[in-house]
Parts: sequence; C-alpha cells; structure tokens
Amino acid sequence: MDSDCLSLLPAVCLVLADPKQSPPDDTSLEKLLDWFKELHSQSDGQVLLQHQPCLLEFISSVCMSKTTDPAILSFTLKLTGLLAATTQELHLFDEGGLLVNVFEREAWGVCDLWEDASVRSGWLQGLLNMLKHQQALGFICGNGLIKVILQLQNDRSLFVACLANQLLVHILNFLTSPNMTNGSDVVGSSESSLRPDWVSASSEIMNAVVEALSSEDHPQVLQGLRLLSLVLSKCGEPIISTLWKDVLVPLEVLVNRGSESLIQTLITVLEAALGTPLLSQSEYKVEELLEAMLGDGNRKECFHCAALIVKLEKCPEVLKRKATDIILLPLQCVSTQPQAEKEINVVLKEQLSQKASCISLLMQSLSSLAQLAHTKYLFEDISIHSITSSVLLLLRMCSGHCPTSLLHSNAFTHLIGCCKVQRCGLDTLGALSVYEEILDLRKDIFGVLLDYLQSPDSHATVLKKTFQAVKRWIVCSPFPDLLQFISHDLFPVLEKRMCDLRWEVRDSTLEFITQLTTALNGNSGFTEALHTSGMVSVLLSSLADAEGYVRASAVAAVGEAVTASSHQMVLVSNSKLLDEALVQMMAILSQDTEGFPRRAVVQAFTSWLKGSHLITALELSLSSVLSLGGSDFDWEVKMHTLELAEVLMEKTLTCCPYAVQNFGSSEETRFTQALIKFKNFGLFDLLFNSLFDCDRPVCEKACALLVKLRTLTAETADLDNSLLVLNVCGNRWGDEVQRRYLNKQQAKASVSVTNGVTGSDEGTDCGLHCTKDISLPKILQILDLDDMQRMLTLSSDHVVNSPRSLMEDILSAAQHSEENIVDCY
Amino acid sequence: MRVCSELNDTHGPTAEEKTSVPNVSRVVASQKTRKRGNQFSFRRADMKLYCLSGHPTLPCNVLKFKSTTIMLDCGLDTTAALYFLPLPLVHSPRLSKLPGWVSKDGAVNLEKELKECSGRVFVDSQPEFCLPEKELLDLSTIDVILISNYHCMMALPYITEHTGFTGTVYATEPTLQIGRLLMEELVTFMERVPKAQAATCWKNKEIQRLLPGPLKDAVDVWSWRKCYSVQEVNSALSKVQLVGYSQKVELFGAVQVTPLSSGYSLGSSNWIIQSHYEKVSYVSGSSLLTTHPQPMEQSSLKNSDVLILTGLTQIPTANPDGMLGEFCSNLAMTIRAGGNVLVPCYSSGVIYDLLECLYQFMDSANLGSTPFYFISPVANSSLEFSQIFAEWLCQNKQSKVYLPEPPFPHAELIQTNKLKHYPSIHGDFSSEFRQPCVVFTGHPSLRFGDVVHFMELWGKSSLNTIIFTEPDFSYLDALAPYQPLAMKCVYCPIDTRLNFHQVSKLLKDIQPLHVVCPEPYTQPPPAQPHRSDLMLELQPPPMAYRRCSVLGLPFRRRYERIHLLPELARSLVPSEIKAGVSVATVSAVLQSKDNKHVLQPVPKPAPVPPSKKRKRVTEEPPEVLNPKPLLSGAVPLEPFLAMLHKNGITEVKVEETADGHILHLQTEDVLIQLEEDATHIICDNNEPLRTALRDLVLRFLQKL
Repeated sequence: MDSDCLSLLPAVCLVLADPKQSPPDDTSLEKLLDWFKELHSQSDGQVLLQHQPCLLEFISSVCMSKTTDPAILSFTLKLTGLLAATTQELHLFDEGGLLVNVFEREAWGVCDLWEDASVRSGWLQGLLNMLKHQQALGFICGNGLIKVILQLQNDRSLFVACLANQLLVHILNFLTSPNMTNGSDVVGSSESSLRPDWVSASSEIMNAVVEALSSEDHPQVLQGLRLLSLVLSKCGEPIISTLWKDVLVPLEVLVNRGSESLIQTLITVLEAALGTPLLSQSEYKVEELLEAMLGDGNRKECFHCAALIVKLEKCPEVLKRKATDIILLPLQCVSTQPQAEKEINVVLKEQLSQKASCISLLMQSLSSLAQLAHTKYLFEDISIHSITSSVLLLLRMCSGHCPTSLLHSNAFTHLIGCCKVQRCGLDTLGALSVYEEILDLRKDIFGVLLDYLQSPDSHATVLKKTFQAVKRWIVCSPFPDLLQFISHDLFPVLEKRMCDLRWEVRDSTLEFITQLTTALNGNSGFTEALHTSGMVSVLLSSLADAEGYVRASAVAAVGEAVTASSHQMVLVSNSKLLDEALVQMMAILSQDTEGFPRRAVVQAFTSWLKGSHLITALELSLSSVLSLGGSDFDWEVKMHTLELAEVLMEKTLTCCPYAVQNFGSSEETRFTQALIKFKNFGLFDLLFNSLFDCDRPVCEKACALLVKLRTLTAETADLDNSLLVLNVCGNRWGDEVQRRYLNKQQAKASVSVTNGVTGSDEGTDCGLHCTKDISLPKILQILDLDDMQRMLTLSSDHVVNSPRSLMEDILSAAQHSEENIVDCY
Repeated sequence: MRVCSELNDTHGPTAEEKTSVPNVSRVVASQKTRKRGNQFSFRRADMKLYCLSGHPTLPCNVLKFKSTTIMLDCGLDTTAALYFLPLPLVHSPRLSKLPGWVSKDGAVNLEKELKECSGRVFVDSQPEFCLPEKELLDLSTIDVILISNYHCMMALPYITEHTGFTGTVYATEPTLQIGRLLMEELVTFMERVPKAQAATCWKNKEIQRLLPGPLKDAVDVWSWRKCYSVQEVNSALSKVQLVGYSQKVELFGAVQVTPLSSGYSLGSSNWIIQSHYEKVSYVSGSSLLTTHPQPMEQSSLKNSDVLILTGLTQIPTANPDGMLGEFCSNLAMTIRAGGNVLVPCYSSGVIYDLLECLYQFMDSANLGSTPFYFISPVANSSLEFSQIFAEWLCQNKQSKVYLPEPPFPHAELIQTNKLKHYPSIHGDFSSEFRQPCVVFTGHPSLRFGDVVHFMELWGKSSLNTIIFTEPDFSYLDALAPYQPLAMKCVYCPIDTRLNFHQVSKLLKDIQPLHVVCPEPYTQPPPAQPHRSDLMLELQPPPMAYRRCSVLGLPFRRRYERIHLLPELARSLVPSEIKAGVSVATVSAVLQSKDNKHVLQPVPKPAPVPPSKKRKRVTEEPPEVLNPKPLLSGAVPLEPFLAMLHKNGITEVKVEETADGHILHLQTEDVLIQLEEDATHIICDNNEPLRTALRDLVLRFLQKL
C-alpha cells in the first residue's frame, strides 16, 4: 500500500505546491500528515527524504513561492518538523540551509502569511514535531526562536497561544531530560551541565513567566499563569522549584489582589502546585497562598474560590475545612434561624439579595456539599445534622413554604419555584444519604421528597432528581417502616405520576420503579406490595402508552417486576401477570412502530434468561423473540437479539435451569441435545441471517457467536451430524452458503481432475447434486468465519479512508479543476 | 388659561402664570403645527372612581371621567349561594329529611327557613346573590357600561332594569352571546326547581346574630337578591351595542373608549378610555397563556395615566399547567379504577381547553373509549358558538378555519360520539348514559344545576372523583351540604388570568403612572402572609379600593384640546423668547359645543349706526382692545441700581427679602419691590416718577 502511495507522492507534491490549484480541505491535509507520521514511525532508520527528493523540492518551493496558500504553508511547516525529527534528516535539511528558510519567516516568499493564525500554528506545530533531539533544540535556541515562541504565547488566537505554551513546556522538559544532560543524573543535575545557550533559553522562558505575572495587562497575566500551571504539572525538578522561587512574589501580589477573573486560573496554578514537592516545603508557601485566596470569607470571590478548593483532590486538611466552612455559609445563611446565625458578613448579605448571585451562590454551596458527601467528608465545626436540616429547609423554601422566621426574605422570593436550586438541592440531599448519623431525619427527608413528588408544579427534571434522591435514601439502609412508606405513601404518588400529562414524567416514574424493584430485589415484602397495591396492573397498562420511550420504560419495569416475582415465587400464584406481560410484550415486538420499546422487549427477555430462576412460560416465546428480533429493521434490536442468543447459548451449555437434562448421558450427547434445542429455537437461522446482515456490528456479533460455536463443535469429537442438518434452501444465508459450498466443491473437483484423481469422493458427489440439507459443522467449515471476522473488524470506511484514496482524491480534484479552467476558456 | 394678559406695574409670571408655563409652550407648539390645525389646551377638573364591588375578579366600578359616567363591568358575586341548600333536580330524600334549625335554648325556631346538614346550617330557599352596591351613587346617571368578559356581566339585569339606567352597554359579540347563555342557564337552573317560600326571617339582624357560623358572619344580607327573569335578561341585553377589538367609540365627544383583546376568554377585552391628554386603561381578566382566545394586546396599554387593574388569578399559587396535569392524572386514575369523574364547571371558558387537552390525553393514556358528557341547558349552543367565533380565536385556531376544519377538536369528539351533550339529565341522557364516564356540568357552586343530581348519585362511592376546576368557590364550602361524602375530591383550580409575576412584568413594560387595584392585591394572601411575591409592589404604591370606596384619580397632565381657526391662527404674531420657543398673544372668542372647543376670531364690531337710540348693554359686542404686550425676563439688581444712579437716583437702600429685594428710594420716598415673578412700584401721587421708573424697569424686559 505504502509503495503505491509513494509512487503518487511526487505528483501530489506538485499539485500541492501549485499555487493555481485550490488547496485540499484541512481534513485531507491532516490525514496526509497522519500518513507521514505513520510512515516516519515505521521507517526504521530509513530516511524518507533521501528516497523522496520531491519532498525537499516541495518544501523549498512552497516557502519561496510568492503565492502560497496559508493552508499549504502551514501544512509544509508541520511536515518539515515531522521530517526533521531525526538528526540524520535534520542534517539533510540543514545542508542547503532549508530548515532556516522554513522556520525563519523573513526568508519566506510572502512574509505577510505570518498574519494568518493557521500559519503561526503550523510553525509552532512544526517545531514541536521536530523537537525530538538535541540538534532540534540547538536549532531553536541558536536561531533565537525562543523569543518568537514567547511572543506567540500572547497571540490573539487562543489555539496559537496554547500551542506556544505547550512548546515552551516541551522545551523546558527537554532541557532537563537525561539525553540533554549528557546522561548525568537528572534529579541531581544542575543547569551547569547544559550548554550555555540552553541555560539562557531556559532562563529566558522563566523570566518571561515572571514578567507576564508582574504585568498590568490582564491577558498577559492569564497566559503567564497558564504557562506556569502547565510547567507545574508537566515538568520536573529543578525547573519547578527554580521557576516557583521566581514567580512567588508576583503570584502573592496577584492572590492578594483577588481579581475575580483570575481566580479560576490561580486555583489551577495552585492545584498544580499541590501535586508537586513544592507543597511539602513551607518556604514555597503553596498552602499559604491558597489560604490567602480564601481570605476570611468576606470577599465576593472567596465563595468561588472555596468551591474550587473543596473540589481539590490533594488539599491540606486545614485548608479544606476552612473552604468548607466558607462554602457552606450561603446555605446556612439562607436557611438558618436568626438566633443560631453567626455573624453574617455584608458581602454575603448583598449577594443573597440579588437573584442571580443568590442562586449561583446557593448552587455552589449545594454542589460543594454534594461533592464532600461523595467522599463521606467528616464535618467538624458544624454537624451534618444541621447541614441536612438546612438543605431540607432550602428545598421547602423552593416550593413556597416559608420558615417561621426568615433571615432573608429577598432570598426566599428568589427561591420560590427555582428549578435550578431544586435540582441541585435534591442531588445534594441524595448524596447526603451516605451519612448514617442523619438517619433520624429520614421522616423529614421523605416528607420533603414526597411533597416534591406530589406537587403539581414540580418540573419534569426536578421530579427525576427527586426520584433519584428517594431511591438513594430507600436503598441506603432499609428501615422498619419502609414497606409501609412504599405502599401507603410512595405507590399512590407513583400511580398518579404514571398518568401524568408529560411523557418525561411518566418515563422517569417507570424508570424509578424499575430501579427500585432492582434495588429491592429479594425483598419479599416489596414484591408483595407491588402486586397487592395494583401497581403491576398500572405498569401493564403503561405498556400501551402513546409515547415510545414510555412504552420502553414500561417494558423494562414490567420485566423487572416479573424477575422480582419469579425470585419470590409469587409468579406461581400470579401467573396472570406473566401471561399478560408476555402477550403485550410480544405484541410490542411484532407491531410497535418505534425501536425503543422493541429493544426493551428483547432486553427484558435477556434479563429473564440471565436470572437464576427458571420461568418456563418464557421458553415458549423464545423462538418467536429470536425470529422477530432477528428480522427487525432496527439494527439495535438485532444486536439485542444476538445478545439474547448469546445468553441462551451460555445458559444451555452450562449448568443452569435452561441446560439440557443429563440423565446419565455423555458430554457429547448433551452438547448434541443442546444444539438440537438451538435449532428448534431458530437460533441458527438467527445467527446465519445476521452474519449476512447489512449492518456491520450485527454481522460482527453473529460471526463471533458462530466462531464460538465452531470451536465447540470442533472440540466435540463424535457429534451426530445427521441430527444437525440444516435446510439451506429458500433463504438468503442459505443461498450464500450454497454458493460457497458449490464453489468449494467445484474447486475441489477441478483439483482432483488436474491431479488425475477420479476416485468416488462421497462428499463431492453428494455436494454437487444434493445441497439442500447441510450439517451445521459443515456449514461452519464452509463459511470462512475467520476471514469474515477479520474483514468485519476493519472499519466500514477503511477503503475510502486509505492514504492512497486520499492522494488519488487530491490528484483527481486538481485534474478536475484544470478541466474546469479549460472549460472557462 | 391666560389668553391675554395685562401689565400695569407688574411683570414676570404670576403664580397663575408659573403653573401655566406648559400652556405657553403648548401655544408655541400649536403654532408650529398651525397648518395642520391649531390647538390650545387648558386644565380640567379631577376624576373619580366609585367602587361598587370589592370582589377582585367580579368588579363593578364607576369612572367619572370628564363629563361622562362610565361603569366598568358588572360582576355578580354568586358566592352567597353557598349559604343555601342545593336545589335537587330529582327529589332527594336526603335533603328533604334534613332537620330544621332551632337554637339550643329553643328561643329561636327557624325550622322552615334553615336546615342543618353535617353540623352546618343552610338556608332552605332559592339561592340569592350579592349585588353591586347601589347606594354609592345614582346609577341612573351612568352613561355607558363597558363589559370586559362574559363572567363580568352577570349583574347587568339588576343594574339596567331597576335603576333608571338609560345608557348603552358596550361589549364584543362573543361576550354578549356567551354572557346571554350563562344568564339563561342561571335562570333555567333556578326556574326548573321553584321554591315556594322565600326565607327572610333569618336575615333579621337580631336573629342572624344568634345563628351559627358562617351564616352569622354573612354581610349585607338584606341586599342579596333572587335571580332575575328571562324577560329582564332580554331587556338588559337589548341595551348592548356590539364593538370589535380596537374599534374607537366616541362618548359625547368627550372621551373615546376602545376594547383590546385581553386573552382570557372568547371576546374578552380590556378597555382604553382616553381624551386628548388623559388615558385610563382598564385591565380586567387578562391572560398571557396560550389558550383558545386571541392573545392579549399589550402595547396599546402603554403610557396610561391611570391603570385600573382587576381580575388577576384567584389562585396565584396554582400554576394552570400544573393544575391541568393534576386534572388529567386524577381523571385517568379514577377511570382506570372503574370510577366516574364529575367536573362541576361553567358551560363556557376553561371547558373548551379541558376538552382539547383531554382529546389528546385520553388516547395517550389508553382511555380513548371513555365517554364525556356535557350537560347544560346551553351545552349545545356553547359548543357551537365556540366554533363560529373564529375571528376572536388565537391565530392557530383561526388558521384552521381556512382549511376548513373546526377550530376546536371537540367537534371531532362529538362526531366520534366520545363527547355527548344534553340539555339536562332528563330525556335522552338517562338512556344513553354509560359508566365509567366523565361528566361536565354546572353549576360550580354545587347549589343548583344538574351537578346536584350527580353529587347525590355518585357521592357515596369512593371509586368516583369530583374534580373542581373553577376557582370561584371554596370547594370545601361547596361540598358542605353533601357531607359525609365518600367520593374522592380533587381541587385543581385552573385560572388562566395574570399572576403577580406576569403582572409585574407587564406593568414594567407598559409603565402606567398610577395603578388602582382592589385592596387584596396590595398585601400577601391572608393564608400566606410571608409570600411577598404574591402582591403588587409598585412605585408609587398602587391605590387600593374596597367595596364602597370613592377614589380621586391622580392625574399629572390635565389639559383640554382647543382648536384654533385658521384665520385666527394667521393673525398671530409669534415672537421668539428663546431659541425654539415662540410666544404669541391671542385674543379670541372661545366656543364650546359637544365637548369640543374652538377659538374663533373676535367678530369685528358692526359700524355704529348713526342713531342716537340707546342700545342695551348686553347687545354690545365685546370691546376689542389691543392687548398690552406680555413681558418676560428678570430685572438684575446691580445693573438696575446703576441705571437708577445714571438717572439721578442715588440714595437707594437695598433690603433683601425672601422673594427678592426691596429698593427704598429715600429721597423720592418710593419703594420698588423686585421679586422673582412680580415687580411693584409703590409711589404715592407722583405719576410722572412712577412712569419714569416703570420705563426703567421695562428696559430690562422683553416685550412680546
């Protein structure tokens, strides 16, 4: 393939260098670069430039051209970097002084092209590609390119600025890498072992950071901070500590200034510093700086800062406590009774009195609390009990209930009906379920959650969050009155919600019931409540919902209810549920116009089959499910059907209720019986049909299953083939098998004729004249499953995406454009 | 207005002139538009609002605006019916066996008038209603009545028929037609179940005092009246003149009234009442939700001097969408469980939206086969009327008419037999009735109408549900005479009228100078005193009214438009007093007719006939004097002193006063008072000196 491409390369280079041609689109050029990259990595020391002199010509002509397109120049810069990534190649470039001509913009045919951001980006990317060896660094330092890179760090294009930062970090890293320090120990190495120009390069970069941080220009400060955080996270010692010592003073100034727009970036810097050895050395003041960022909680920015600190993974405990205290202030302030209230600072009061800031502060407070709860954080100064009460109170306020005495009536007005705070609060309440200490608040918690479920004004998304919170609290630790709560309080609300006007609500209600049933699987009381409360019949009626998504969720819920019932043996006494469920589900699978419900039906069967209990009634429907699912026009339904087939195969072939009975029979007989069972279920039809399906994933899956089957049949020595004969006539897969079979037979026959063998080969005779019935092992042999599998693993566009096709496209586009020009005349 | 002014020794604007400065500028402005028609303005008297009903959503106010008396709406408060026993359409053994009420000590025996039911006492007589206040002003003086929607006209026969009213009622066509249906339905409900006796003894103050609550606390019981008759309805409605949206109706040349779509119900309107310089907006029962009526027209309400705001939602905490959801899910739950659903409702209004919502919902909830019954004496007309008032519907529905399709889907429900309507439970209904079903019927008070029968029929089964959707009545009070009740009760009040959040946004947008509203809107609901978001918080605070309030409406601009005849305008000589401002004096005759004012040139005096016969003074034409010039400007102290000095007056003692200075010319013994708006020269018996001094003063002033 590559040799084909290489033969096209000169022509492609000519086209690309031709200023009359409009350049190919960016994606094509990127793909071409990818191919070069791959070629380069596989070159094994072979120098591409030597074999392809057209490349050097191309690069040279592009740089010299007065009419180069920016996209082509950018491509050329990147390509040059790639090609100069080894010392040998660099020398080739250097011989004619070409490298300087490429990366010195004054040497270009058109200097103005530098104004184009894509060219600047290509320039940086080229250097980055090249920076794989000392000579490259020597080239950069020797030609004063560091200065240009530093300028580009403040480029108006963010992409360019970001790339410049990456390159600078790469340079710094390269300076301290073992191959740069003549093999000396990196950790103990000092700059003295470096070449003097490299020492000056590193100090130039570091000075630039210090300068940027001390600058009055906001964008410059931001870029400086970004570079600093990159250095901290990507570089090692001694760069980090050297740089940190220099930037500490301006950094302190920035932190103390407390500019809101810098907070996020400053925190990123300090977060990066936390991950370095700087943290353990007090003279580097990392912790001190973070603490200074927080202040004493009376600055407008401190809440944002506290929220960020709470999220930090490696944060000193003392600092985290302080940040936690601050971030909880808004929540406490809104929902605490005045007598228990600490002194509330003026800034917070003012922030809470404005709607936008009030909501954003409370959301920060709540999400930080949820974050802390995820790690089961141990609160010290304030009890988790009181925090939970605050969240509850806040949620009540959001639905219009007012506490007896209110601290911030303005905040209360902002909160009524505020979905954002409601969702956030419910998430937090759910997260708080990890704390056993607040189990005594459960009654209040469920009270609030039920209020939300009952309220006609609850938004669909709020209801979904409420369901999640209810589930978390029910699952966290079952309590004595759980069943009472579920059947008396929860089920009536759910029943009503399943009749909701909004399909989203009906859908999330059904999802919740499914999750609840799964979570309480094995709880006989729950299963009983499900049946006695009439919930099951409501679920069954939801199978006829007008909305496809809801039907799909109803199928899942019914499926889970059947599973739960089968575990508790309730099905024995309540077979009506299963009968009705099966009838309706089969109707959905065969008639539903939407894919989701049909997929859900097949998934439900899969989950039933996976279960440990035998549901005999299912077996009768299995062949219909396999046949309907396999012939569905939705590829996902077909995939799910194949998954069902896989489970069926596993279960039948291993020891489980579905396994064939082994009344003292041998392993082989059992396997044959299993295969006969599969045949009766129509499993082979499904697999072979799917193998020739138009959807690649379906074919892939079917192929994998057939390969598995082939292995098993091959392992079983005395398989009775006569019992496993499949009819190959009258269906698509059969025709294909027949065709391949005949081809093979004919090939065999012609080989025999050539070899002069005239013996009566039974197979050939029979095969040529009677191909209606073929045994399963034979079919598996005929089909070249391994080859099919290999082809299927390749992406479907592997042909059109090949470098050859790419180059051909470029060439043909050029040809067409020439024709068009001719047409114009 | 000062058409011409005189100046003796006084100059500068007087107190009158100071306040009249805008007048002068108007004169100037009118000069600029001289060719288009010349107009002057002058100040008018105050305007008043008489509040005859305190009910926020059933208003009845009278606006005295310029020379007109305009009644705004004519709502009938029917909540008094809740004190009465239901009128059963079919004999109800339960109701007929209720014990009469006798006071505990046996001293008061009202067995025939009052009956006890589940611990509450009800009046056993035909229900009565609370009328708008009739004593606050003479209702015969009302020139016009403006109706905003069909719910707000139910008291019309009480006002037009027995008060000497001779004016006109303005309403849109759907308002008139549907209002007529509602009135006829009310009359039918009452007349179908005649009650021989009228209970009046209990109203006796001494007796009422002894009655148990809430009857004891009922107010103005003597003003309660029985329902009107069909004749009264017809007579009242014959006085209605139809108007269309944005149609301008002139009232005696004094004001112009215009109905604007209010988005609440078919044909519902807000009204603009305006003169040339004043604009009063009357907002009553408006909605910004997308339901069936035409959307609310807001921009025309901008720049009102006064906005009278009534008819906000009665249940501000209930969001109509949420309530509709509740309605549907409760309905579906009941039907799925095999029960029936009773929806007590008015025969027009929200029912159209409910049917439309159910039309979609029932199929999706797999309840498509459940029948709906709409029972009302006017059910058929109501359903048909809704389909023919296409121009009053929202755009979406209007466009259906051109397809052509019926705008409301209830036509399809009727066609497919899913919705059936009957005038009453008697007749076809009883034979076609199938359960479980959904019944829509009136009256929402549960005191009369076919709903009484269904309450008796279904009340005993817990499978059935009654869903209240109308917000006008307390559902607990409505249910009181049916207790104990087994059927489930769901309260889903659907009130699409503006809520406080919407109204505050609207007011921010239209920026009226003053807002007048019922008192309850100025404070949080009594049950939720902390909900400061459920009240109007405006700057300046709204003027609140209650029943029997009389409010003087504050107006900032109070002018009248006067036209200047072209020939008079041509004779004016404007002189510029400062850049862009010109002033001219006008001498003219003001003619006022039909609230229109015209300045005409003063007729030239007829040549005096050579007759020595004495004429009567009255016959003499007005003496035309050339107006003395107007003066403007100020007299600066120092230059004036210098001027005096130059003219030989040297001994001047200057005294500073609160308003300016007093100059004492000691030698001449003359006082000159220089004030901001006047100058006086006090000079005894020395006319030449006074004239000389006057001339000195005049040198500093500009003559017009």
